Amino acid sequence: MLLQAIKFQPVKMDRFKYIFSILFVILTSLACFGQEKGNKQDEDLYAPIEDKEPLVLKGIKVGVNVGRVTDFFFKPERRSTEVSLDFNLSNKYFGVVEGGISETSMIKENYWYDSEGSYIKVGMDFNMLKKYPTDYFGIGIRIGKADFKHSASHIIFEDSHWIADPIAVDSKSYNTYWLEASFGLKGELIKNVYFGWSALVRIGVSGRKDAQFQPYEIPGFGKGANSINLGATYYIYYQIPFNKNK
Amino acid sequence: MKFSVYILIITLFALIYSCSDDTCNADTDTLLNIEFTVNDTNLTNIDFMDNLSLYSTQWSDSIHYSEEGSNEILSLMLSPNSDTSEIIITSVNAGLKDTLTIISQRELIFYSPECGFITNYFIDTLFYSINYIDSIAITSYQISTSKDGQVQIYF
Repeated sequence: MLLQAIKFQPVKMDRFKYIFSILFVILTSLACFGQEKGNKQDEDLYAPIEDKEPLVLKGIKVGVNVGRVTDFFFKPERRSTEVSLDFNLSNKYFGVVEGGISETSMIKENYWYDSEGSYIKVGMDFNMLKKYPTDYFGIGIRIGKADFKHSASHIIFEDSHWIADPIAVDSKSYNTYWLEASFGLKGELIKNVYFGWSALVRIGVSGRKDAQFQPYEIPGFGKGANSINLGATYYIYYQIPFNKNK
Repeated sequence: MKFSVYILIITLFALIYSCSDDTCNADTDTLLNIEFTVNDTNLTNIDFMDNLSLYSTQWSDSIHYSEEGSNEILSLMLSPNSDTSEIIITSVNAGLKDTLTIISQRELIFYSPECGFITNYFIDTLFYSINYIDSIAITSYQISTSKDGQVQIYF
């Protein structure tokens, strides 16, 4: 029996697709700063540009992402927690450290899936409010990193021809990095207790892809298959006050 | 400002709730479409196409063009368990068979909790016998939920 073969000739791919996303975030952030400077009609809402007061640490907010409560109803297979530390510098700049853990376990008819991991985000928030110095309305940027692992077993494809042979994938570990831009609000509900939300855009930088077993959901980042994920967080904070006299 | 906070909170919660769905509504098939073109008059005289069937030693059954094919095309899934998918082409009145051996790269993807896993493929190499086959062209190497693979076989 004679045989012939056709082989795919690979084409070299580059990574230009990431450059656009990163430029988008940088340019969007710059555009927001430019807006603050040039729009004099909104002076009551936006903070003045020229302010020579030294930055003073006015409080630390400790927050819990209460939005994760919705998992109990809508994603019962996932258990996750996210907390935040927010360093208030003169009510204008906020150093932010956020972190969380996430665990997913699903046993379905045609697959079993498990994942667990943690993440940390470090960045800054910039308050654009002048009128409500204890509240916050502004934009933020973060760098995020997730460490997680996932595994699957009993995967069955319901195809009518191939003999069903359950597939298992051993546990694999990943490190994922992303950039995050946000805008949001924080308002003081009662003394030193704040509620706030943020709308987020997360842009994957590295570690999202696996040619053999694509991660489904990356802790802190969202769907692994997407280069860009949108999201929202809902926080309740307690502000530990100090430097009140300054 | 606080009024707007409440409005936006409600709006965003509503958006999150509306995203919830427990059923798999997506098309998760990842198929290779094989198009047959019979130019050999000896084969057309024996109704080669109408009696064409595909099978594999790893299948529990066969695919018959008369039942599942149309427009000279048959669709099938490559092996989800192996990088090598061997498909045998036969026809009732043909004395010989041809064999396709498709070597592919597989990508296992957890599509969604509702739909489970899918396998995307990338055809790397295709070996084929030339008992009746004259030539083969691969017009789409990628096989995913959004794009079927395409192979044209000329007899």
